[in-house]
Amino acid sequence: MAEPGRLPAGFRQVSVRWGLSAHARRLLTLALTSLIIAVVTGRPAFAGIAAPAVLLMAAWPRIRPDKVSVRTALLDSILVENGESAIRAEVRGNDSFDVSLMLEPSKDIEAGPAVGVLAGAPPKQVYLPFTPTRWGRRLVGTLAVSLSDRYWLTAGQADVHLPTLDCRPMPAQMNSSVVLSRLPSRLGEHPARATGEGGEFAGVREFVPGDRQRRINWPATTRHGTLHLSTFSAERTQNVVVIADATTDVGEHGSSTLDLVLRGASGAVRHYLARRDRVGVIIYAGRLSWIGPGLGQRHFQRLIDLLASSPVGWERAAELTRLPRAALPPGALVLVFSPLLDHRLVEAVRDLRERGFSVVVVDVLNAEPAHDGSRISGLTARVWRLEQQAIRYSLKQLGVPVVHWDGVSSLDEPLAPYSRRVLVVRR
Amino acid sequence: MTARGPVSRRWAATAASAVLTIGVIIWAAAPLSSASGGARLALVVAAVAGGFSLFQVVLARIRPAESGLESFLERQGLRIIAAVKAVPWPELMIIAVLTLEALHPSRPWHTAVLGVAVLADLLSLHLAETGANATTLRRQAPLLAAGIGLCALAVGAAAIPSLPTGTVPSVIRVVAVAAAVIACGLAIPAWRGHD
Repeated sequence: MAEPGRLPAGFRQVSVRWGLSAHARRLLTLALTSLIIAVVTGRPAFAGIAAPAVLLMAAWPRIRPDKVSVRTALLDSILVENGESAIRAEVRGNDSFDVSLMLEPSKDIEAGPAVGVLAGAPPKQVYLPFTPTRWGRRLVGTLAVSLSDRYWLTAGQADVHLPTLDCRPMPAQMNSSVVLSRLPSRLGEHPARATGEGGEFAGVREFVPGDRQRRINWPATTRHGTLHLSTFSAERTQNVVVIADATTDVGEHGSSTLDLVLRGASGAVRHYLARRDRVGVIIYAGRLSWIGPGLGQRHFQRLIDLLASSPVGWERAAELTRLPRAALPPGALVLVFSPLLDHRLVEAVRDLRERGFSVVVVDVLNAEPAHDGSRISGLTARVWRLEQQAIRYSLKQLGVPVVHWDGVSSLDEPLAPYSRRVLVVRR
Repeated sequence: MTARGPVSRRWAATAASAVLTIGVIIWAAAPLSSASGGARLALVVAAVAGGFSLFQVVLARIRPAESGLESFLERQGLRIIAAVKAVPWPELMIIAVLTLEALHPSRPWHTAVLGVAVLADLLSLHLAETGANATTLRRQAPLLAAGIGLCALAVGAAAIPSLPTGTVPSVIRVVAVAAAVIACGLAIPAWRGHD
């Protein structure tokens, strides 16, 4: 229990700035104007109009608290885009003043309505809902605490800065996997070409000494007259490296290329980790950030944190066309989410293909440069489109599939041609 | 029955304020033919200020999204909105309406009704701005009643010298005294409660 005179845990004192309320200013205007007109025109009826305003103004509160105690807490400090949460707030020390709490949100956060607490009511916690609309780490905003007396004459204002919120990109829907034909020798869940101890039937062969007797295939043995046994596919894991291109951010706010890159990359990370694959992430921006392939829930959190803290932009001096070996285990499937607007990333993809990696590019470009309808502008737009087509064509010629994703549908749709059967590794 | 939320309360208060604003301006202006010079200008100022004060209430609820990438027209629009928000339109309307009333010949009871309507308009405007529950007005009721009583007393006093002798003037005098008594009776508990 808190000692008398001491604040309970979590409360902090904030200073209140007091001033005349808008209502009091209007009452004052009404009173003064009426009295001036009454004196100037000699009409006592105008003095009568001033009476209610003067009486109300005379009720001006003499004692006002300099500080109030406020306790705030975020219900969730980590959210995904468009996930609803709330701020829990409690105010004490407001004496005989009504309190109104309103969240003044920062950019890309939508706040709910203000909540009021009447003077004299027992202390209670109130909840102010909010919804982050875009990924990123940012301050939630400011909690505006407004105090007013029973006659609405004085207005007290105090601001409480709210903590930081981690908003993660909404993972894109993905249910099918692109699986390579050659998988590394690690135990996993993908049936491989090689025979092993898996559960998927691979064929029948003649028994040789040392084989396990429980694998004997009795129908084949009866047909051939010699002992035969069933063979099964080995189950292997796959190394997947997701490259998120954060060099450019074009398009409508909320569905820009960077939004789609991060949502797609999050969806792929979530899906492959759920299939017990080893997944790594490379953020391709002004500087490279990467986390090597790994497994598990903690690794998933690390990858998503890396995605959510992606820096946007490109340093002119940077020439990162060769991705580091440490981030790319041999034989890994490389999924690139990019609008393919930066030629250095295109060069990096070509380099990856030449190094023997199996690369699939998910193109997220859904915007075009604005043009004013003039002939020159139209020609420029056409040249730009042809250039984009040429980039995609050159990658396809190198054996790098490029699929387009609109950011709305599931990732399964564009990846369907490569997820129905294993992707043959060509070196 | 369900309680109304703050949003619907605000819209209801805004609608009430709109009706009262229009009513106050019409009441102060009527009849325009009997008003002296400058009444038309005062009417125009009152109408413009009344309209903008309502617009200001609606604008306060809209938060323009500023991304820093607005077009020229959008930037101009944001500047106009900021300018409209900065001007004290309700105060201007009060001054214009009272001036309009003063430009008419003396009519005490008409002026008193105008005063009460302006007060009601200010209260509804405050409710529209803050979204506060109308039941919070109950706490102000004694003082408001006292104020209106004093207003009635003042107007009654203003009317007395011009009243002819007879039954009707006697009744009006009695009503004026009663109003003063009721006003004092309501005001005293309010003062005590406040302290």
